[in-house]
Amino acid sequence: MAVAQDNARPEGCSSSPFWTIARRDSLAGWLFIAPQLIGIIIFVLVPLGLVFWYSLHEWNVLANTFTYTGAQNYQMLLDDPNLLQVLGSTAIFSAGLVILNMSLALLLAVLLNQKLAGITIFRTLFFSPVVVSLVAWTIVWGFLLQKNGGINGMLQLFGLEGPNWLRGETTAMISVIIVQVFKNVGLNMVLFLAALQGVPNELYEAARIDGTPRFRQFRRITLPLISPTILLTSIITIVGSLQVFAQIAVLTQGGPGLSTTVLVYYLYQQAFQYHFFGYGSTLSILLFVIVAVLTFAQWQLRKRIVFYED
Amino acid sequence: MKTEISPRLKVFLYGLMCVLLIPFVFPTWWMVTSSVKPISDIFAFPPQLLPQSYDWTTYRKVFELQPFVHQYWNSAYIAAIVTFGTMIVSSMAGYAFARIKFPFANTVFMIVLLGLLIPSEVTIVPLFQMFLKAGMVNTHWPLILTPIFGAPSVFATFVMRQFFVTLPVELEEAARVDGLGRFKIFRKIALPLAKPALASVAIFTFLHSWNLYLEPIVFLSSADKFTLPQALTQYTDAYGGPMWNIQLAAATLTALPVLIVFIIAQKQFVEGLAHTGLKG
Amino acid sequence: MAEVTLSRVQKSYGALDIIHGADLGIHDGEFVVLVGPSGCGKSTLLRMIAGLETITGGTIRIGGRVVNDLDPKDRDIAMVFQNYALYPHMTVATNMGFSLEHRGTSKAEIAERVNWAADILGLTQLLDRYPRQLSGGQRQRVAMGRAIVRNPQVFLFDEPLSNLDAKLRVVMRGEIKSLHQRLKTTTIYVTHDQVEAMTMADKIVVLNAGKVEQIGAPLDLYDRPANQFVAGFIGSPSMNFLDGTITENGFAAPGILLPLPQMSLEVNGRKAVYGIRPEHFALDDSGVPAQILLVEPMGSETQVTMKLGETEVTGVFRERILLSSGAIIRVLPDRANIHLFAVDGGPRLN
Repeated sequence: MAVAQDNARPEGCSSSPFWTIARRDSLAGWLFIAPQLIGIIIFVLVPLGLVFWYSLHEWNVLANTFTYTGAQNYQMLLDDPNLLQVLGSTAIFSAGLVILNMSLALLLAVLLNQKLAGITIFRTLFFSPVVVSLVAWTIVWGFLLQKNGGINGMLQLFGLEGPNWLRGETTAMISVIIVQVFKNVGLNMVLFLAALQGVPNELYEAARIDGTPRFRQFRRITLPLISPTILLTSIITIVGSLQVFAQIAVLTQGGPGLSTTVLVYYLYQQAFQYHFFGYGSTLSILLFVIVAVLTFAQWQLRKRIVFYED
Repeated sequence: MKTEISPRLKVFLYGLMCVLLIPFVFPTWWMVTSSVKPISDIFAFPPQLLPQSYDWTTYRKVFELQPFVHQYWNSAYIAAIVTFGTMIVSSMAGYAFARIKFPFANTVFMIVLLGLLIPSEVTIVPLFQMFLKAGMVNTHWPLILTPIFGAPSVFATFVMRQFFVTLPVELEEAARVDGLGRFKIFRKIALPLAKPALASVAIFTFLHSWNLYLEPIVFLSSADKFTLPQALTQYTDAYGGPMWNIQLAAATLTALPVLIVFIIAQKQFVEGLAHTGLKG
Repeated sequence: MAEVTLSRVQKSYGALDIIHGADLGIHDGEFVVLVGPSGCGKSTLLRMIAGLETITGGTIRIGGRVVNDLDPKDRDIAMVFQNYALYPHMTVATNMGFSLEHRGTSKAEIAERVNWAADILGLTQLLDRYPRQLSGGQRQRVAMGRAIVRNPQVFLFDEPLSNLDAKLRVVMRGEIKSLHQRLKTTTIYVTHDQVEAMTMADKIVVLNAGKVEQIGAPLDLYDRPANQFVAGFIGSPSMNFLDGTITENGFAAPGILLPLPQMSLEVNGRKAVYGIRPEHFALDDSGVPAQILLVEPMGSETQVTMKLGETEVTGVFRERILLSSGAIIRVLPDRANIHLFAVDGGPRLN
């Protein structure tokens, strides 16, 4: 917005020409963002710095000692026998979640993009888990996944015997992934739906007239044109997958063993169950670095994957 | 992509959708129906899609075993304050970033955006320390202050900014010619026109606060201060095993209000939430 | 042979008839324009020929084959859309060659065909650009190029020039016409602009509310419109209409008596509509008096809004009229170009 320089005296202001219109506007700007900015500084940036500071200390809360140990915690990180498995679980969880979530969301979006009677009802129903309370959803699934719970009950009707879902290492991981996928896939589905509907119908008509087969239409027209949304959704989903906490805390508590202990949960355990605040902080930094790297990598990859329409 | 679908394909599509719908809808159904089953029927085989006998005491026990009303109120008023506060902070910041030229605006915007990258779990340890030193542990202050001023509201600011960028500048220019100052322009012109974006922000902020789990279990230790997600996991018997039907009753009570509002206002919900992703 | 025949073609949505039994015969190589006001069904008819809309009744034949149940891709047609329908994420070259890719055509041949089409349309320099980098006229040409590359039996154009500014439209009209002369492919062209219809068509089909009003060569429609609708639609500025009665002495319109056309009929005393084009008034002292309301000089001609009796009409004169509002002039309608129509939009009477 262009703003003119004004040296005339506005009423009620000081007599010096310091407070030009531009300057008054700048002040207003600063005042507007002040709450957010101060908030970010206090509640995000300062803690971020503190986390790094803590990670350099050995901190026994119970004994109330706080000793500077430099990079010792980081050394501990590298020597931690559990860390590899934790990172592995995190990778499996995130990858499984993202792949399943995105493909299911895309499939549902394509399916629901038809002009069928009552399609809006279906869309609402697929979306409903998104608004169900997270813990409520998790508890129900926990209930259904019990050895004698609803899922195994249904399987038994078909003569199949289901495993004790939450007690086996692989099945626990599968369970946790599935619970999270069905909770949030509706959101991605809606985003993909909007993107699909943004592709002009004429493009498909032109392809129809040319005789382009429908699979080719999807691959060469639909996918490229919704690729910006796919990229954005994948960034959000991947970053989100690294923050999944409640489901694991409620369903498996990281178990059995360490099989579902993802990094976030490991962090919580170390800091708030075992009271190793220093080491917990180190893990926080690790989490932060992973998120930052992944986001950055995806953002850079966008030039290769995404077609942008200016 | 098709304009006309054969009847056979229609049947197939409907069938496919119904099958896919099961894991989305069945848990909610199961939650509600199991919440009134007697504990002996909870794991009955064959599984009872509809309760065969009813135990209506589960809901009463929800309130007896925990200060549930209090906890409900906690979740509700915290979410309300957080939503309201976030709407104010994010709309002001979003408007400023979109419309006002001030020095270092871009740098500040980048700094604020950092908040999006930082998962709340990363900063929870030092935040705990900070609130501990301030004597605010086991109060609701951390649950209110952090979302309003911290990372969650950054997304809201981003959404508001994206929206304000699309408002025609001419409206504000006309107001300036009419003599309004910046704050009045914001209050009387920009904000009223921002209802759709504000609705989006309200929805996802409310849901986010309602669903908070890590923060309550870190900061709160007395039952009457718990929020709902926390309380739901506390329905355990003497051996520490969950009392399923009571727990499910509590879960139903937690989920149902939002679900009902959702069914009534589905269009706004879905559009509001999709709106945020589109521009983002 | 790429002739297109429509027999009693009908389109209904439930009880609502969109197209009422259209009959149309198009010869191989003809340039036919479907013209009419918004909502008359011309685009629907075109899309039915393309196969993008289903046919409720009647038959459509392309090249002798009945195509009612054929998919668009089996009809050997190409279409140019109003909004060009260019794939935004593909270059001009890829856009033009896209339709050949799935047919297993070799890359070399695709490139050859694309280059040939690009050469005809002057697009050779733009082959590596993306649609967003092109102007409206260039995009239009790419859309045409995409159609040409297919070498189909019939070209279908759906209001291709509507989104272009006036000057560009004139240029593109000429280009489309010369393209047709060069390739000689049967072309069906839809527009709401009667100037486009008049200048480009071998044959015009005038549509109104789903009905074919008249089919004929442009000048036939101009000289002998079949009914009042066609008379008023073709020609710009449009024909003047006066209500009145045919009498022995002339046509009695409110406040004035007008000369009858040369070929009179035995319909004395009948109520009718008198039609005369603005350009068919001559300044002549033996004519009828007309009161000037508004004079609009265009340079090459002068458009005058005047009153004949109590009816307001438009006249277009080669001479410069240096009079102002209120003056009386004497105008003589050209007897060879007077049209009489039955009332209520009825057919022509002479």
